[in-house]
Amino acid sequence: MSSKKVIELFYDVVSPYSWLGFEVMCRYRNVWNIDLKLRPAFLGGIMKGAGNSPKSPGLVPNKFLYMTKDLNRLAQYFNVPIQPPSDPFEAMFDKGSLAAMRFVTAVQERETGGDEQVECVSRELWRRIWSQDKDITKPESLTEVNIKLHAGLSNRDIEEALALATSDKIKEKLKKATEEALGHGSFGFPVILCHVNGGKEMFFGSDRFELMAHCIGEKWLGPQPKEVSANL
Amino acid sequence: MSSKIVIELFYDVVSPYSWLGFEVMCRYRNVWNIDLKLRPAFLGGIMKGAGNKPPGLVPNKFLYMTKDLNRLAQYFNVPIQPPSDPFEAMFDKDRGDKQVECVSRELWRRIWSQDKDITKPESLTEVNIKLHAGLSNRDIEEALALATSDKIKEKLKKATEEALGHGSFGFPVILCHVNGGKEMFFGSDRFELMAHYVYFPPCPPGGGRCSLFKSKVNGRVVEGILCAVLCLN
Repeated sequence: MSSKKVIELFYDVVSPYSWLGFEVMCRYRNVWNIDLKLRPAFLGGIMKGAGNSPKSPGLVPNKFLYMTKDLNRLAQYFNVPIQPPSDPFEAMFDKGSLAAMRFVTAVQERETGGDEQVECVSRELWRRIWSQDKDITKPESLTEVNIKLHAGLSNRDIEEALALATSDKIKEKLKKATEEALGHGSFGFPVILCHVNGGKEMFFGSDRFELMAHCIGEKWLGPQPKEVSANL
Repeated sequence: MSSKIVIELFYDVVSPYSWLGFEVMCRYRNVWNIDLKLRPAFLGGIMKGAGNKPPGLVPNKFLYMTKDLNRLAQYFNVPIQPPSDPFEAMFDKDRGDKQVECVSRELWRRIWSQDKDITKPESLTEVNIKLHAGLSNRDIEEALALATSDKIKEKLKKATEEALGHGSFGFPVILCHVNGGKEMFFGSDRFELMAHYVYFPPCPPGGGRCSLFKSKVNGRVVEGILCAVLCLN
């Protein structure tokens, strides 16, 4: 049996398009012959490092209006419950995601044998900011019941992850992941890096899945592959 | 037989992603039940009107676009080869339905395949354009003369303003008229989603019988089929 193709997904929970990419890749991890590696990173660092303007959708009114409609359509089509927060600007640019992504990195660092916890915690954070219009910046937000329940983490696990999140070790780890993404040419998220044929194909955004499938020798079955195979 | 869904494609030949969208829509005009309307417009006017800047100003973005276009060109089978100086070609120079389709394609080929000029009148009179578009020397001369008229300047301006009115901040813009509403798609990477709207258009507001089938029975596909059967096109 041929070895699995490694695919790295660089993401930040402040990014709604990253949520789409994340759900799709998680759905495909047992459909395609891939080894999916979740790489939590920091979008603010990408914007700074790439000289990109995070507020550009806001500076171009038509772009911001389009993004709102686009996300709404994609949310339905991909079956991901994205609902913009009441103040997306505040959520994305003022409050940011540094504490949240350090927390996700800490969860991943503590986790042994797989990434079920980091997957669940990431999803719960997306749900908070991009579905339920809740805060993700304060420690209290990160200790809420949902995260524990869904991720199977105990109170103690959460406390330890929170403490670890402010350590130099975790700050460095998040910084490193962000710099790696920049090194691959990132100017935003999500970045999906496919290791194929001794090389690397980088895909930006959540609208290159059909092309990506072609590049890695797999077949794109739409946003919900299990439904397709169940109906065959 | 149900009436065709009108789809307007706003584009400028200076935009390579527009070429992709253009070729895809032209290929689908006899596959989907659509009435494709080509709407040549001016990207410079869109950038100005929307207060936007070209994407290539962020170095990593520009590098990515080069690779992205290369991969898409192969996958979509459109012979895109970036000109030697894309910035000059796109931004520095100032720069006009079977004939429109052919002339558009030939202009894309010149700039985005053969690294040739498209701004000088001599460029526009070249043999390829005439051959492929079935235009005579006289046709080309007359079109060139007409191109500088107030009438044509106004027409191009109007198409550009229409696109802005639909919310454009770049090209291509694909506007689908479905069930009394308009769905606008930007770029050449929303075709799967667009197909979903063309085949399973959202129910018209206050959609009568459709509302009975709003709940998901077995995913969207089933809901869509029932709606398409029940809703009159």
